Amino acid sequence: MNRTAILPLVLALLFAAGLLLPALTTGYWLGVALTFFMWVGLVQSWVILSGLTGYLSLGHAVFYGLGAYVMVLTWGQMPFELAILSAGLACVLLAVAIGVPCLRVRGPYFVILTFGVSELVKFIVVNIEAGLGRAGRLIFGAPLIETLYYWIVVLALVATALAFLVSNSRLGSGLRAIREDETAAETTGVPVTRLKVIAFALSAFVPGMVGAVMVLRTTYFETIHVFNPITSFTIVTIAIIGGSDDVRGPILGAAFLMILSETLLVNAPEVYMIILGALLILFVLLVPKGIAGGLSGLLARRRREGAP
Amino acid sequence: MSLLAIDRVSKQFGGLAALSDVSFDVGAGEIVGLMGANGAGKTTLLALIAGNLRPNGGHISFDGARIDGLSPSAICHRGIGRTFQIVRPFAGLSVRENVAIAVMYGPGGERHRRRAEEKAQAILDAFGLGPRGDDLAGSLTLAGRKRLEVARVMGTGAKLLLLDEVMAGLTAAEVAETIELVRDLKVRHGMTILIIEHVMKALLRLSDRLVVMHHGRVVAIGDPHEVAGSAEVIEAYFGKGRA
Repeated sequence: MNRTAILPLVLALLFAAGLLLPALTTGYWLGVALTFFMWVGLVQSWVILSGLTGYLSLGHAVFYGLGAYVMVLTWGQMPFELAILSAGLACVLLAVAIGVPCLRVRGPYFVILTFGVSELVKFIVVNIEAGLGRAGRLIFGAPLIETLYYWIVVLALVATALAFLVSNSRLGSGLRAIREDETAAETTGVPVTRLKVIAFALSAFVPGMVGAVMVLRTTYFETIHVFNPITSFTIVTIAIIGGSDDVRGPILGAAFLMILSETLLVNAPEVYMIILGALLILFVLLVPKGIAGGLSGLLARRRREGAP
Repeated sequence: MSLLAIDRVSKQFGGLAALSDVSFDVGAGEIVGLMGANGAGKTTLLALIAGNLRPNGGHISFDGARIDGLSPSAICHRGIGRTFQIVRPFAGLSVRENVAIAVMYGPGGERHRRRAEEKAQAILDAFGLGPRGDDLAGSLTLAGRKRLEVARVMGTGAKLLLLDEVMAGLTAAEVAETIELVRDLKVRHGMTILIIEHVMKALLRLSDRLVVMHHGRVVAIGDPHEVAGSAEVIEAYFGKGRA
């Protein structure tokens, strides 16, 4: 079978199974699947910027948080579908605004800057909410978990499709050129600044919408919670474990993390973070391209050895 | 009619004057050799032309229009390409994608990846890298990587090629091949070339004219054999009292 046809087929099956799940089960497993697809949506989006350009964002929680904030601010004032879309667009605008100055610096400076900007926005919102005299906001009349679940699966699908299209497009080649050597890229005609900002904006769109949907799931908005930097760290962890130059990576990474957290958090919560940390170190040292990259390398080697 | 005009260009790094009042022209279809000892400012001049650095004074014009102050990608779009003294291929990408990126983002701006890859393969075939298309650029030998950088510039559709020591570190056989390659670029592809080189034999065989630089200034311009034997050049390389 043609290798290029396998990937879209497997992806189609995965998302079809995801969409059929509510007909088969409710409660616990639906919650697990929702969290899985949430991470898929977040990490696929992150990969568009960080996987392709090598500009590591440690601040993607800012988009999740802003999306959630847009949702609570507009709750009851517009249809929630429209609010989800607005959250995504607000995050695209924020990405352009912070991308233009932040993407001028490279390497560790960019990493620290994205983290700093995320924290800055968090504390701006904290102060706005404090100024308004609010310690948190409750959402009444949120849609059913099934509805939210469908939204998250569709957002994961949108993010995966976006990552796939970008990765295989002219834009994707330009972004990889930036990752490999930015000076050589711009000398080869790649408009590096414009491409980086476009990638940043694309990578912010779905996370904003995911944040907007997820705040409806918790039905409670607390600034510190939705802008939690752990969200950013987890995105990076999944991308490192799964691999980030390929749409399979985030899916494999998210699946791995879900299996790990569901088995360990239930049975041995005290060692969960320790094991996760140890795994992260092992992956960085031994499988730097993640599960997806490691798998490709293994298959390529077997094909070479199998060939006469 | 000159294709590239460098007019009283200067560049300072802090208090150090890397280039002072450098002026010369490169005519269309000409190969101009740029020679001078280490630190003479040759690579700095190339970086100024390609837009990697901006001059502190003077003008650079290409095809009749000012280009100093433009971004490197804008200058690439005008039709200038460069190679790097320390090679900078996109090491983690395939040899073909290296050139395809140039085809897609050069002045031609091929929108379709598939067609860009076909064009890239044709360029690789022309430069003897055809069979290596699927390999990672980082796996090529130094000579291969230098050849790939030239192929990448050709992918952009450049009219002027700036070569920065494409022969340094190569074996004698590879140098001979590269001399043929550069001559081919001029004769078969109609390229205009500004070449920095320490391999004298190559410069003398390839250049229509030689520009000699010393401490950031142009000290001699003219016929390669005359210039190479002149007192200024011998002094620039070996010091006073040797000529």
